[in-house]
Amino acid sequence: MMRARLNTFLYLFSVLLLWELAGRSLHAVRDVIATPSMILAQYWTAADLYVPHILATLRSAAFGFLIGNSIAVIAAILFCRFPVVENSFRGVNIALFAMPPIVIGPVLAIIFNGDLPQIMLAALVVYFPTMAATLLGLREIDPRLLDVISAYGGGSNTALRFVRLRSALPAILAGLRTAAPLSVLGAILGEFGSGVRWGLGSFLLGSLGDSDPARLLGIGFAATAVAMAGYAFFAWISRMTLGATVAVTIAANRSPDQIAFTGKYSWSKRAALFVVAVALPFILWWGILRVARISSIIAPGPMETLRYLFFVPDSADARAQIVAALAQTLPLAGLGLLFGLAAAFAIAALTLVRPAVASAIMPVAMILQTMPLIALVPLVLLLFGRDTATTVVMAVLVVFFPAYVMLAQGFALVPRAARELVQVYGGSRSRELVLVSVPYAASYLFAAAKLVAPRALLGVMVAEWLLSGRGLGNLLNTSRGLLDYDMVWAGAGISILISVIAYETISAVERLARRN
Amino acid sequence: MVDEQGSDAAPGLADLSIESVSKTFRTRSQTVRALSSVTLKVQRGSFVALIGPSGCGKSTLLRLVAGLEEPEQGAVLLRNETPHAFRARGELGIAFQDPALLPWRTVRRNVALPFQVLGRKVSEYRRRIDELIELVGLTGYADALPGQLSGGMRQRVAIARALVTNPSMLLLDEPFGALDQILRRTMNQELQRIWIASPITTVMVTHSIDEAAFLADQVVVMNAEPGRIVDTISIPFPRPRGPTLFAAPEFHDLCDRLAAALDSSAAR
Repeated sequence: MMRARLNTFLYLFSVLLLWELAGRSLHAVRDVIATPSMILAQYWTAADLYVPHILATLRSAAFGFLIGNSIAVIAAILFCRFPVVENSFRGVNIALFAMPPIVIGPVLAIIFNGDLPQIMLAALVVYFPTMAATLLGLREIDPRLLDVISAYGGGSNTALRFVRLRSALPAILAGLRTAAPLSVLGAILGEFGSGVRWGLGSFLLGSLGDSDPARLLGIGFAATAVAMAGYAFFAWISRMTLGATVAVTIAANRSPDQIAFTGKYSWSKRAALFVVAVALPFILWWGILRVARISSIIAPGPMETLRYLFFVPDSADARAQIVAALAQTLPLAGLGLLFGLAAAFAIAALTLVRPAVASAIMPVAMILQTMPLIALVPLVLLLFGRDTATTVVMAVLVVFFPAYVMLAQGFALVPRAARELVQVYGGSRSRELVLVSVPYAASYLFAAAKLVAPRALLGVMVAEWLLSGRGLGNLLNTSRGLLDYDMVWAGAGISILISVIAYETISAVERLARRN
Repeated sequence: MVDEQGSDAAPGLADLSIESVSKTFRTRSQTVRALSSVTLKVQRGSFVALIGPSGCGKSTLLRLVAGLEEPEQGAVLLRNETPHAFRARGELGIAFQDPALLPWRTVRRNVALPFQVLGRKVSEYRRRIDELIELVGLTGYADALPGQLSGGMRQRVAIARALVTNPSMLLLDEPFGALDQILRRTMNQELQRIWIASPITTVMVTHSIDEAAFLADQVVVMNAEPGRIVDTISIPFPRPRGPTLFAAPEFHDLCDRLAAALDSSAAR
């Protein structure tokens, strides 16, 4: 443990040293990505800017973290106690899991003022991972323990009190650990949408035009540091409270399928629950606006949005804009997803044959996985410019690291006996890979695909919004600027719908593959 | 020899009465008749072992007695009460193959769990809890966590927990199934010692012939497809039964008889 940490430290230190030396001796390097000392220097000279920006983001993230996680834990307890509630909320859960949060920012900015849009977005972003981890923690317990409770006449509430809640604690902490950096990302994406004065997102937006590499990278590193501080804090708490680091990281990286309760329902009840699950997101959309008494001019409900897209004179024009934007965005997201997954799978498989590669990549991947994707924007901009290739690179980067971590864990779980069987018959490592490990880890490929597909779309849209000025991301950004409320809502709705469809498609393919 | 050691119990008094109970499990592809019209009476203060091949429904039968499953047909009565009414008074103790301890609780607090579930004040039972920990030979480990104990010690905790409420019916579902043969024999003798100290009506599921013959007053032989009782054999050895019994020729004769009963029922 200590040794591994020392190695990582030495590794990082030598990278920084190399970067500094290269930057000092070569103009080409210094002009593109500055040098570590230049970045440090601008932290010093621009401290009066950094401090309020960081504090603003931190405040939004912290409030959002608190609200979102409280709701997540309460929801998970309700879902565990009353599975029908979970079945009814399945549509809402999938939407919250699959939505690209950047599209929600402008919508929230229309409804709320001040810091609230950022806080709300941070809350929405942390909800799903914490809820999923908590629900699994509450459910995945020794069934014998429930029998013991029953044998003394205890019911579901007693089981919750004495067994489930405490059993779930490690999973809840793992969820919070994952949620901490996400809340920072949510707050920053919210700042893009609301256009507030202070916050790291606003700072980045304002600095993109100056093309000062030291400043851009400085903001990226600051965002990363804030996010990782949150992660480290909860990692420390779980070490303190649980005594040991329990390997439950996977628990917080679940997709809705993996938490879905599959009860024994009759056909009619299942059909009714399906209808409720599909309708509930739209009912909530309509109901929340009604309850909050927000004018339908700035906040159209589902029916008004449908009308805007199909039944008014300008509908054809609106649809044409959206279709044109989608035609730019979706192929790039798909390409990024495919490249990212393929690279992650290939490298995860390679690390099985060459374990030394794994020990070099894993720490970096773990760090980059917690890094808010916003922090990648400066680096991608400086290295690749603002064209289409940049957008794909962004999507690949966003997809690769979480997919790699998940697939590497999948490969690590291949039963040793199965692998040794091939070796006993004289099979080589690569033969064993083809015969045993790859088929075994293929199921994790689907899990990874479901997890990262929404991120691919988010990565592309962030790049479009900030850099390339094309596609759906740009459409939302410009509509926001033009106060074209109908388009903001329609674009957000369609983005979420597409994410959900992509998610369901991967799930369907997975089910087909399982059946064979 | 139910009457010999259950001397204070009125003869012929059935603590447990299972009346033509049937249970079917349906999965998507098939239907399994786990139990088909099973009738069994267990006298107060006797030790009954259920033995049979896997799938014969012996665990299901035990779960029906504990009220963890409901019978499709027939009735299960514990002292003329339903399992649900019976267990809500803390009259039932249960232990499984898996000790099923709460890993975050010390031995003492694990043993205290039944009182909490029953809604009683743990503070009033401190002495009882410590007595039980002493009875299963874990004095000095009361504040240890399950993770710090060996497999056999954890199983002792589970047995202490099963006995702590002073139940009138003890259900054991392969309690030593996960232990190795040597430890298992030690635990068998331990269990007998504990049981003689307070002979409560006990039903134990096992797939070990010599465990059944060593511990029980009566061995109920079951078979699968459908799950049913095929034979009931009385064990005549006087208690306390010592470790030398495992080597005695009459013990081996009895084990052979049990094996034959299992075999002939399987051949049928």
